Amino acid sequence: MRRGVRGVDRSSVALTVALLALAVLWLSPIAWVVVTSLKPAPDIIRLPPEWIPWPPTGAHYHEVLLGSSRTARIGRAFVNSLVVATGSVILVLATSAMAAYPLARMRFPGRDLVFALLVGSLMIPNAVLLVPQYVLTQQLGWLSTYQGLIVPEAAMIFAFGVFLLRQFFMTMPREIEDAALIDGAGPWQVFSRIIIPLSQPVLAALAIFAFRSAWNDFLWPLIAVNKPEMFPLPVALALLRSAYSSESYGPIMAGAALSGLKG
Amino acid sequence: MSRQARVAYAFLAPGLLLFAVYRFYPLLEGLRLSFTNARLGRSAEQWIGLANYTRLLEDERFHVSLWNTAFYTVASTLPILAVPLALALALNRGRLRTLLRSVFFFPFTLSVVTVGLAWLWLLDPVVGPFNYYLRRLGVPARSWLADPQTAMWTIILTTVWWVTGYYLVIYLAGLQDIPRDLYEAAALDGASGWRSFWAITLPLLRPVLLFVVVTHVIGSFQLFGQVFVLTGGGPGDATRTVVQHLYEAAFQNFFQFGAASAMAWVLFAVILAFSVLQFRLLRGHTEY
Repeated sequence: MRRGVRGVDRSSVALTVALLALAVLWLSPIAWVVVTSLKPAPDIIRLPPEWIPWPPTGAHYHEVLLGSSRTARIGRAFVNSLVVATGSVILVLATSAMAAYPLARMRFPGRDLVFALLVGSLMIPNAVLLVPQYVLTQQLGWLSTYQGLIVPEAAMIFAFGVFLLRQFFMTMPREIEDAALIDGAGPWQVFSRIIIPLSQPVLAALAIFAFRSAWNDFLWPLIAVNKPEMFPLPVALALLRSAYSSESYGPIMAGAALSGLKG
Repeated sequence: MSRQARVAYAFLAPGLLLFAVYRFYPLLEGLRLSFTNARLGRSAEQWIGLANYTRLLEDERFHVSLWNTAFYTVASTLPILAVPLALALALNRGRLRTLLRSVFFFPFTLSVVTVGLAWLWLLDPVVGPFNYYLRRLGVPARSWLADPQTAMWTIILTTVWWVTGYYLVIYLAGLQDIPRDLYEAAALDGASGWRSFWAITLPLLRPVLLFVVVTHVIGSFQLFGQVFVLTGGGPGDATRTVVQHLYEAAFQNFFQFGAASAMAWVLFAVILAFSVLQFRLLRGHTEY
C-alpha cells in the first residue's frame, strides 16, 4: 500500500499508451485500404508509403460503383447483399422466435427430442452440407436467385437462434402471460403481444448476428450464384480482384472499403 | 394429439420445415451421395459402395490438404487463445476501454474477402508497406505468401487479426463473471498479479476457454476463404485445405459430387473426433 496513487497511475498510463499504439497498428491495414482507394493511380505504388492521400480522388469509387464494364458492379452487389442479409434476418427472427416459444413454455410430446436435434445440429460444419445443398437448390430452381441465398443462410443460423431465444424466454416471468391467458388471450396473442415486445434486446442481438453472417458469407454464394448481376459483395469483390489483377489496386481497394460500410 | 401439442407444433412448423429441408435432409443426402458416383448433370447415378472413400486413401492431394488443415488448426490455436485473452485482461478495466475494445473488434465485422484483399495489398512483395517497413528495420523483403515456409503462417497472422475481436468480447464476458472478492482475498494474502492470474483467472475461465477452442477448431477445419483469396492454395499445394480441395472436386474439376461428399464426411468425422477429445481434455475439472 506504499506505492501510492501516483505509482499506480504511472503504470496504468503506460499500459494505456501501449494499448493505443497497438490499436493504431491494428487499424493500419484498414487505414491503408482507405488511403489507397483515395489515391490517384500513379501515387498508389509510390514508396515510401504515403499515409495521407492528398489530393484525394473519387475516381476509383466512381469506377467500381458505376463505370466498370469488366465485372459485376459493386453498387449492384451492395444492393444484393443488403437484400439477402435483410431477408435472412427476417426469416431467422420469425422462425426461431416462433419455434423457441413452445420449446420454452409448453409441454408436449417430442419437445426434448426436437430441442436436442436442434442443439446437436450446431455441431454440423457448413462445409459438409455444401454439395447436397447445391443439388437441392438446383432441383428447386433456386440457383442465382435471392431465395437461393436467403433460405440457406437463414437455415444456417436458425438452430442457434432457437437456442438463444429459448434461454431468454425461460428467464421471463410467467405472471404477465398467466394474467393474459386468464383474460382470454390465445397463445398467438400472448406470443405476439407480450413475449416479442419484451424480447427486443435479444432479438436485436440475434438480428445483428444473422445479418453479419449472411452479409459476410462467401463459400455458399460463390457456388450458388453464377450470374454476375446476382453476386453479393464478397463474391463480386473476389472477382473484382481477378478482373484487375495486379494492374491497379485502386478500384480493388475502393471495393474493399465499400464492403466494410454497413449499418 | 392434445390441444397444446397441436398449438406447439403449429408454432414450430415453419422453423422445422426450414431445418428439415436445408439442414437435416442435406446431411443425409450428402451421406448417400458419398456412396455413389454422382456428378453434375449425370441423371442416373450408381451405388458404388465405399469406392469414393478408398480412392481418398490414394488421393495424395487430399492427404496434403488434410495435413495442411490440421497444421493450421493446431498452429493457430495458441495465438487464438492467447492474443484475445491478453487484450481482454488489459481492456477489462482502465481508460478508453470502450474505444479500444471497438478498435480491436472492428476487423471481425469485415468479410473474409475484404480482409484477404487488404492483407494481399499490405504484404505485396514489391510495393506493399509491410515489406517496406521491414526493410527499414533491416529485415530483407520477401514474398510472404509465395514462400512455402511462410505462407501458412501468414494466413494464421491474418486470421488472428480478423477474429481476435470476437474472442475478445467472449473473454471479457467471462472475466465479468469472476467474483471480484477472490482477487481481493488473494491480494490480502500477498499473491502477485501473475500468481492470481494462474490461480484464479485461468481456472475460472476454463469453460470460456473450452468454448473458444471448440469454436475455433470447428471453424479452422473449414478454412477456405482466406486461402482462396490470399494464396489460392499455393505455392504448390502448401496452403491447400480440405474444403478447398472439396470445392475444387465438386465445383471446378469434373463436378464429382460423390467424391466430394466422401471428403465432406471424412472431414466431419475428423472434426467430431477433435471436438470430443477437447471436451474430454478441458472439461474434466471444471467444478469449483
